[in-house]
Amino acid sequence: MARSKELLPRESLLWIFAAQFVALLPHFARLPLWIVCAWAFAIYWRLEVYRGRRDLPGRLVKLLAITLAVAGLALSYRRWFALEPMVALLAVSFTLKNLELVSRRDAFLSLLLAYFVAATLFVYEQTIPYAFYGVLCALVITAALAAQSGSFSARPRRALGLSAKLLAQAAPLMLLLFIVMPRLGPLWAVPQDASGARTGVSDSMAPGDFTRLSKSDSPVLRISFDGPVPPPEQRYWRGLVYSHFDGRRWSQGFSVDPRQGAEVEWNSRQQRLPEVGPRYRYQVIQEASNAPWLFAMARPLSDTRGVGETADDRLVKKTPVHSRFAYEVRTWPRETLTDAPVLGDAERRRNLQLPATGNARTRAWAAEQRAAGLGAEEISRRLLNFYNRSFVYTLNPPALGADSVDEFLFHSQQGFCEHFAGSYVFAMRAAGVPARVVAGYQGGEWVEQEAYLLVREYDAHAWAEIWVPGRGWQRVDPTAAVSPERIRDGLQSAAEEEFMQDALLPLHRISVFNQLRLQWDMINYRWYRAVISFDSDRQQNLLRRLLGEVSLARLALFVGAAIAAGLAGALLWLWFISRRTRPPLAIRLYQKFCQRMARAGMVRRPGEAPRDFARRVREEKPQLAEVTERITRAFEKAAYCEDPAAEQQLRRLLRRPLTRYRTRKV
Amino acid sequence: MDLTAQTAVKLRERGRQLVQRWLSRRSPPSRSVTLNHRSVFILPSRAGMGFLLVIALLWLLGTNYENNLVLALTFLLAGLIAVLPVHTFANLSGLQLRLLEVPPAFAGDYAEAKIAVSGGGSRAREWIHVGWPPEEGVHLELVECDSAEVRVSLPVVRRGRVRAPRLRVESRFPLGLFRCWSWVDLDIEFLVYPRPIAAGPLPVGLAPGEGDSGERIRGGDDFAGLKPYQPGDSLRHLAWKQYAAGRDLNSKEYESRSDARLWLDWSLPVARDTETRLSVLCHWALQAERSGIAYGLRIPGATLAPSLGAEHLREVLTALADFPVHSPVSGGGHGSI
Repeated sequence: MARSKELLPRESLLWIFAAQFVALLPHFARLPLWIVCAWAFAIYWRLEVYRGRRDLPGRLVKLLAITLAVAGLALSYRRWFALEPMVALLAVSFTLKNLELVSRRDAFLSLLLAYFVAATLFVYEQTIPYAFYGVLCALVITAALAAQSGSFSARPRRALGLSAKLLAQAAPLMLLLFIVMPRLGPLWAVPQDASGARTGVSDSMAPGDFTRLSKSDSPVLRISFDGPVPPPEQRYWRGLVYSHFDGRRWSQGFSVDPRQGAEVEWNSRQQRLPEVGPRYRYQVIQEASNAPWLFAMARPLSDTRGVGETADDRLVKKTPVHSRFAYEVRTWPRETLTDAPVLGDAERRRNLQLPATGNARTRAWAAEQRAAGLGAEEISRRLLNFYNRSFVYTLNPPALGADSVDEFLFHSQQGFCEHFAGSYVFAMRAAGVPARVVAGYQGGEWVEQEAYLLVREYDAHAWAEIWVPGRGWQRVDPTAAVSPERIRDGLQSAAEEEFMQDALLPLHRISVFNQLRLQWDMINYRWYRAVISFDSDRQQNLLRRLLGEVSLARLALFVGAAIAAGLAGALLWLWFISRRTRPPLAIRLYQKFCQRMARAGMVRRPGEAPRDFARRVREEKPQLAEVTERITRAFEKAAYCEDPAAEQQLRRLLRRPLTRYRTRKV
Repeated sequence: MDLTAQTAVKLRERGRQLVQRWLSRRSPPSRSVTLNHRSVFILPSRAGMGFLLVIALLWLLGTNYENNLVLALTFLLAGLIAVLPVHTFANLSGLQLRLLEVPPAFAGDYAEAKIAVSGGGSRAREWIHVGWPPEEGVHLELVECDSAEVRVSLPVVRRGRVRAPRLRVESRFPLGLFRCWSWVDLDIEFLVYPRPIAAGPLPVGLAPGEGDSGERIRGGDDFAGLKPYQPGDSLRHLAWKQYAAGRDLNSKEYESRSDARLWLDWSLPVARDTETRLSVLCHWALQAERSGIAYGLRIPGATLAPSLGAEHLREVLTALADFPVHSPVSGGGHGSI
């Protein structure tokens, strides 16, 4: 008997399964199919056990299930110390726990696990819809906890209502903790989610790559400026520098990629840059790219932790950007730098590298220019003029063969940015001018209300940099020579006919939709600034705004005041509910009787004893006398002898209208 | 070694006494008790400890991944566990327990107390547990009703008047993460009858002084005794065995059971000690009541004239239960907590 009472009732089971489902649902797409099936099967089995058609699995079956699960995990995941296997492990433990979901203790364990699974969702996704979903998860799991208390609490409305009430009361404390709890930063290196193959600028560039990027309108960067905003033609967000060309594909090359040991200055506070003051200060919020490179204008410097500057004036992050990342940048445009730039030997060799053979016609043209003794800038001007005269900027360039540069320059003459940048750098190198391809984003949409620049995937761009003796690296954008609109107004106006041609719905052509999309992005932007990127710096700022100055004493006072307010509220509530005690049931029932009598014309005088009242009723309304007698007798018994049976009788007597007694009697 | 063990036992006993004294000062025994902040205690349950562990783990997850949403969820759960004790306490506070009735019980059986639990308000009270640990106790909910009657049981081993230990009233509402409890002394005293022990048939006609009553009806099925042979007695009733053993010629006397009056005398049971004696008498009383034979009780200090009926049985059994304990040996058990 002691055991049977501990067994979980049906409602408890269903609530637990509902909580598990809600917590696991967003992971379904990511988990291997067998885990999902096993989970569903375990639930089916457990419900069959409840119906008495099956027994709980024996020890042997459980052992087999565990072995199979471990083997399955080992086969499904190569790496163990990563996020995905961790979530899978939690899902599997759900499944196995379902097979021995017997006592209340098991139920609690399962639900506590559910909270954890629900939380891991945020490691993958931090957008507003998922935040709402997280709240839903907390609501359902808490309701499932509440439903364990009994059959009344397990009713859906009651459980969810209670859960919502409790969570609503917990919300102010959450806000307080969110604001004041110190953000310590990672305590140890954690495995990151590296699964999602995200699009974006990659670490190499071949013809056609950027065309692919131009088909996506997902946001990549959101940049807000502190001070002046650069004009559109200056908005080159450099992310990668390609120095190596293998005849078809441009890549970063040896000792440029920090992942291969290139030198990076992490958080260098030594100011290599002039103290005339930064020209541009801005904060970039970058979407997850699963790659370490960040995007900034030339000659950037960042104080954000984990961000470093490379020798070729880029910013990189120590670990890949697996989730949305915000960083502060100060940029000095190259023109403001006064120190004489020097190009080292190794650097010169690297930026003059060309494949041994191929593209003979371009090489011949370059040799011609070189023989004429022209300077770097003159050769560049001629090349750009050449582009300007007869080239077409298009999103659908024809395919190119083995000698891609020759074919582009002298035959097809139709291309996208990567064709122009690649052929330009090739020709300049062939002419003996150190040059390199730079990839990143160009432009962006200015969002007036929130004052930030929204850069989308289709703003991806490739351009070039050449070394001019005495002036250093200079940016040259061959695309600008062909299609100045691309640089000034963006891709949409430069290639209006072709833009987003393959999209399922040409929604970008509907201005209302564009407006809505921009509004939504603005809400997102606010969300990121206020919540997602709320780090210790912003915390300090906010606390300074709230408290005037951040000191331990003030902080303690602030937290103490908040907690005192909460306690006072709780005590007040407790006092209130203890005050609201009703008179005993017998008296309430008698009052009800008196109200009815008043309606029937017999008003009980204040202070009139029930017996006196009954006597008066006998005299004035004899047809009601009998029921009055009975009620008075029951009331006296219930109120003064505390007799529950009399209470019941009183209740029964009052269930019917008093007149009914009269008609029966008559 | 033995000495330290003894000291430990003594210390524990002393500690328990101190707690008892403190409890009885805080909430003195009464037949009707309303729980309030003076008598209610609250601590996280085991599940609550697990919940705290989950909060700690989530905080680590959020901090390591620098993930503000995970941290927000962590803080939400922390807020939840901060507001829970208020609800748990409110669920129990103001609850009124009233002792209604304590029916007598037999030793070795469960004694039951009938208790009315009322909420004293329109609020629903849930997940309330009343009992004497480690016994199972009673689970109750006051939903859409003001009060409920529960029967809480406690095993009793010793006969007599047994004072019940403090009753434990516990609640884990709303999420089971906090345990709120109170030790209530409802001044419960159980009347415990001796445990009935079967010891042969009813001792009809064996008690001394039984012959006084003339209501015996001769001739029946039950052997009542021997009497000197008188001419005219049936030959079938002659006690041949005794005659063969060299005694006088006697004839066996039979009487009808239905109308017999029975004296349950202290000296009748063949027993080692007082308790067994009382148990046998108890068994006989029950048997006599069941068979419809009027029975009386004669024990040192109490004499009850033969009679029948529930009221009489109660009187007899009460007299047996109240028989003073001679030997200091007592069962202890649950009754002594």
